[in-house]
Amino acid sequence: MLEVRDLSVRFGEFAALRGVSLTVEEGELVVVLGANGAGKSTLFRTINGLIKPASGEIDFCGEKIGGRPANAVVKAGIAQSAEGRHLFPELSVLKNLTLGAYLRRRDRAGIKKSLEEAYELFPILYEKRNDPAGSLSGGQQQMVAVGRALMAKPKLLILDEPSLGLAPLVSRQVLDAVVEINKTGIMVLLAEQNAKAALKIAHRGYVVENGEVILAGSKDELMDNDDVRRAYMGT
Amino acid sequence: MELFLQQLVNAIALGSVYSLAALGLTLVFGVLRIPNLAHGALYMIGAYVTYFALTSYGIPYIVAIGISAAVLALIGVIVERLVFHPLRNAPHTHHLIAAVGVLFFLQSGAQVLWGSEFREMPSPFTGIVNVFGLNIGQQRLVVIFASILVMVALYLFLKKTVPGQTIEAIEQDRTGASLVGIDANRVSMMTFAISAALAAIAASLVAPINLVFPTMGEALNLKVFAIIILGGLGSIPGAIVGGFALALAEVFSSTYISNAFSEAIGFLFLLVVLAVRPTGLFSKGA
Ligand SMILES: Nc1ncnc2c1ncn2[C@@H]1O[C@H](COP(=O)(O)OP(=O)(O)OP(=O)(O)O)[C@@H](O)[C@H]1O
Ligand SMILES: [Mg+2]
Repeated sequence: MLEVRDLSVRFGEFAALRGVSLTVEEGELVVVLGANGAGKSTLFRTINGLIKPASGEIDFCGEKIGGRPANAVVKAGIAQSAEGRHLFPELSVLKNLTLGAYLRRRDRAGIKKSLEEAYELFPILYEKRNDPAGSLSGGQQQMVAVGRALMAKPKLLILDEPSLGLAPLVSRQVLDAVVEINKTGIMVLLAEQNAKAALKIAHRGYVVENGEVILAGSKDELMDNDDVRRAYMGT
Repeated sequence: MELFLQQLVNAIALGSVYSLAALGLTLVFGVLRIPNLAHGALYMIGAYVTYFALTSYGIPYIVAIGISAAVLALIGVIVERLVFHPLRNAPHTHHLIAAVGVLFFLQSGAQVLWGSEFREMPSPFTGIVNVFGLNIGQQRLVVIFASILVMVALYLFLKKTVPGQTIEAIEQDRTGASLVGIDANRVSMMTFAISAALAAIAASLVAPINLVFPTMGEALNLKVFAIIILGGLGSIPGAIVGGFALALAEVFSSTYISNAFSEAIGFLFLLVVLAVRPTGLFSKGA
């Protein structure tokens, strides 16, 4: 399981995260809600080792991973489809996916199996496997980003707004895939613009505002919370 | 016509050497975003290592080049660890200054150790071959074929092997690379090793035609920078096309215009191209 305790992140003078605590238990799908600039991506980037925390701890399955470099965090079992996707635009979809399995590059049979699973989840990627990732549509690129993260065979998959900018239908498709992934036993930590759709598939959630967790609860608690409804669901 | 063809072969040989050296420089730029001004010095040391392997130890030429490539790969890694790695989060000007420092350090080191005299590198390929009525020095053919071989090997390494793919991955998206678990440190060291080895091979191939001396890397330095700027910083095809373009411009301007002009032509050419296309010929997303 993932346990973030009292995490703070600063960009110079600016406190982007202040004392954030959060957990993801085995088998859970946890959603993080928050307006633009609330600090969701900063939280995810810090968990994945792309940003060094100012203070606080991050434990994952018994390992202290706070402050470790990203490649070590991935080795510990956390893969992320990050904001901005960060694909390798000139490499083919197949090569992008294969590089996702970089840390288990000697497990050829396993990689082949994971590739098949990724194609099963996103059939369009099989059709586009030889195209440069940069030439795909936004939705397809998002699928490559999720697929690439899955190729690492992570215990925890972090997804930063995987449906951002996608047409509603494609967005549904991606969120359905997220549920499928979670059903295979992979923990999921998800940030999502569409709070309603995200809460629907989640077990629990957190609400982040100005770098702080202001609310945490089960799916139903958050769905019934008036502040959440007003701020994130427009009702 | 014969003069033209003769000079064309010379230009291709020279272009092969420029391309090899420029490939090393462009790889380092692509991965580390460092304009490694010490590249010319690594090139020079590469020539000396081959020279001494040949003359002091009697090692066969081709094997000597391999040894030189290996020694320079090691020196490349050491330079990366000692100089550039500690500066990885420093402003760009620090890299530039550090690189110039390495350049001067290696050049004066060579001067102290080996003197500043010009040395002739003996190559076993001294004969002349007649190809379709053209008389071509064997060494030039060796330069061309060896360069092509190395370029093909480099291409296959980058495209077909996992370590090669890590280089491309970092060039295209550094964050993406760390998110799949690639250790940028290891890739930086590997890139420096390859870069220095390429410089050593280029220098060792051309040295029997030119000469070996401590400042031999200076002129080359300017040229390879012009080439990778021309080709687009970090671009592999750009380095190859740029290398041959510069060699063609130099050789033909010295043949048909004037010898003195040939050193300047490359830069004239560069200025013209940059005026039209400021990001170079093969730059990404330009
Ligand atoms: N590298 C950085 N340097 C300085 N400030 C930053 C940096 N990255 C993020 N910030 C700031 O930190 C705050 C949180 O940003 P973050 O990207 O984490 O928000 P977010 O919740 O992911 O928003 P969005 O929904 O728009 O993706 C913002 O005010 C942002 O401007
Ligand atoms: Mg964000």
